[in-house]
Amino acid sequence: MISFLEVIDRAMTGRYCKEQDFAMKALVPKLAEVVDKYGIGYERDTPVPSDDDLADRVFEAGFELYRDVGLYCPDSQRVMRFTEQELLQALKDAPSQTILGEGKEERTLRPRRPDSDMPPWCWLGALGATVSTEELYSSIMEAYATCLPLADSITAPSLASFSGRAVRTGTPLEVIAAMRVTGLGKDALRRGNRPGLPIMNSIATAGSDVAKIAGSSYGLTTRDTWVVGHIAEFKVGYQRLNEIAWVIGTGGGLIAECAPILGGYCGGPEGVAVANAAYLISGIIAMHADALLTFPIHFNLGCTTARETIWAKSVSVQAMTRNSHLPVFVDHYAAHGPMTEMFFYENAADVISSVVSGGHITATGSAKGTHVDHFTPMEPRFSGEVAHGSAGMTREEANQVVGRLLARYENALAQASAGQTYEECWDIRRKQPNPEYVALYEAVSKDLVDLGVRLA
Amino acid sequence: MRETVMEELQADLRRAVTTGDQPLAIDATGRVVAQGGDLLAAVEQGLSAGMAVVGEEFERGERFLPELISAAETFSVAMAVLEPEIEKAGGSLKRSGVALVGTVAGDVHSIGKDIFAMLLKVRGFEVHDLGVDVSMGDFVEKADELGADMIGMSALLTTTLPSQREVIDTLCELGVREKYVVMVGGGPVFQPWAEQIGADGYADTAEEGAELAVRLVAEKRAITSPRVASDCESGE
Repeated sequence: MISFLEVIDRAMTGRYCKEQDFAMKALVPKLAEVVDKYGIGYERDTPVPSDDDLADRVFEAGFELYRDVGLYCPDSQRVMRFTEQELLQALKDAPSQTILGEGKEERTLRPRRPDSDMPPWCWLGALGATVSTEELYSSIMEAYATCLPLADSITAPSLASFSGRAVRTGTPLEVIAAMRVTGLGKDALRRGNRPGLPIMNSIATAGSDVAKIAGSSYGLTTRDTWVVGHIAEFKVGYQRLNEIAWVIGTGGGLIAECAPILGGYCGGPEGVAVANAAYLISGIIAMHADALLTFPIHFNLGCTTARETIWAKSVSVQAMTRNSHLPVFVDHYAAHGPMTEMFFYENAADVISSVVSGGHITATGSAKGTHVDHFTPMEPRFSGEVAHGSAGMTREEANQVVGRLLARYENALAQASAGQTYEECWDIRRKQPNPEYVALYEAVSKDLVDLGVRLA
Repeated sequence: MRETVMEELQADLRRAVTTGDQPLAIDATGRVVAQGGDLLAAVEQGLSAGMAVVGEEFERGERFLPELISAAETFSVAMAVLEPEIEKAGGSLKRSGVALVGTVAGDVHSIGKDIFAMLLKVRGFEVHDLGVDVSMGDFVEKADELGADMIGMSALLTTTLPSQREVIDTLCELGVREKYVVMVGGGPVFQPWAEQIGADGYADTAEEGAELAVRLVAEKRAITSPRVASDCESGE
């Protein structure tokens, strides 16, 4: 695989292009061309397809898209391009396993395939959603350690304020916050008797490179991982490249993130699926990633649980996991929040479709991940139970189950309730959900089992 | 010009916008001018009507951002020909207003803001898009320079929300807050935040936001009395 120095060279010396021209004159027409050329068609009544040929065509289309379009660097206004040979070599050289965690929490992350009965890696927690105070940050991180037995790793929240000050990206307040949360998170996991549990989304509070790097020195190790995101669509700036340079230099694990937007430059579900497959290749060659983290998201609904995004996610994750050995994680954002019935239907459909398609799971975003304090350990715990229960389920069976689940919730997505906050539906002192939340979970679980959902 | 010919030209203009066909737009616009057609009707019944169709189809999930951009570019190409002719003839176009949009400092997410900008164009705004990671100073200075009616600020990260407040606070500090309708949007933005920082408008979706922008700017133009100074203080 080409070196990261070579990637930097191309970011600095690639072809000059205006940002809007990259989107409208390079990406959009090429995406339309490959969707047509490879015959990629959205199947509304098949949210979880099981057509291997379709999955492979999605991958080929994604490969051609990335080969011909490349990746845009807004800071240099240049396009990074890679040859077909370089891309093929990168796919061959991509890492297939990474050891994470320490002591009793040490695990090896390996790739899965569609229909696999290998339990998916459960990267559980907040998905970077925002918590209001340091006290709640510590509390919920400790609760993750004690209440998520299926967690292989943790996704920490983002901190909104400390010492009475709002954290603000690009200021010293962000740097201080990033340093504080690293210590708070590790201390909380120690208090929860799972000190070796890796934090894999380092550092959600940090939006800038300097904050991420500064915060990392306060207790993260090479057995944690760092998430570095593409900007939609197919863009990566110097700050993210700075972070990659730092992670590579320290020997840490790197997760390349992408979130193709349905309704944006990728267009509809077909375009999103192809773009998603292309992002896998970008993660390998341009980011030197150890795994991909993806979440095709619906522009208007702000969640990953819409029928169109579930299809695009499912077929593209199948494309990736059939044609590459890089482990693939899928993020899950439900529109509904904690203490709502609909959350469980949404999340079950989303997680099942990820697992049977060959993905590992990252969960859980509740209330779209946008409402402060609207998450508890209950939602990721449920996601883990669905994920483990779904290992070994076939795509055909999953398609039936997901179809039934969609019928329950899809008309409610546009008016989704954000539900309740951590403090409202979780007993912080006892570290357990309130009885009302337990009762709701038990009632919905019974219905979910009747609909064909398997809970571990 | 015969009425049926004009109707055909308007239909061509509508089709040019809905299909993003710039050569057709230029051709049909040229024919309207050459044949002495009704210029304002060409805009309203042709180009603007085409933009409205694209906007409605986007809202129904039948069209996507590239088609919105393509329609807006086609609209602009035709307007570059028609607008001087309208002014030459002593006419004037009905505009919803001048809008300034951008993603706030520290935030490089653009697609939500891009869609909002296009939907403002669909609704007849002259839109100036400042891009992403826009500093407070750029928002304040460009709004003054361009004579903006509306400032729209997007943020996708909770930790970049304070930048929205900073712009509004600075407008207050400079005593120019009353000149603008200020709208805020983005994933973590909700009505309580908009009220807390003293924004005029917020909506759940880009479509609702664009509708609200039309209404708020129209209301602002209709009201001649300036906003009271305490509006700024209420943002605290």
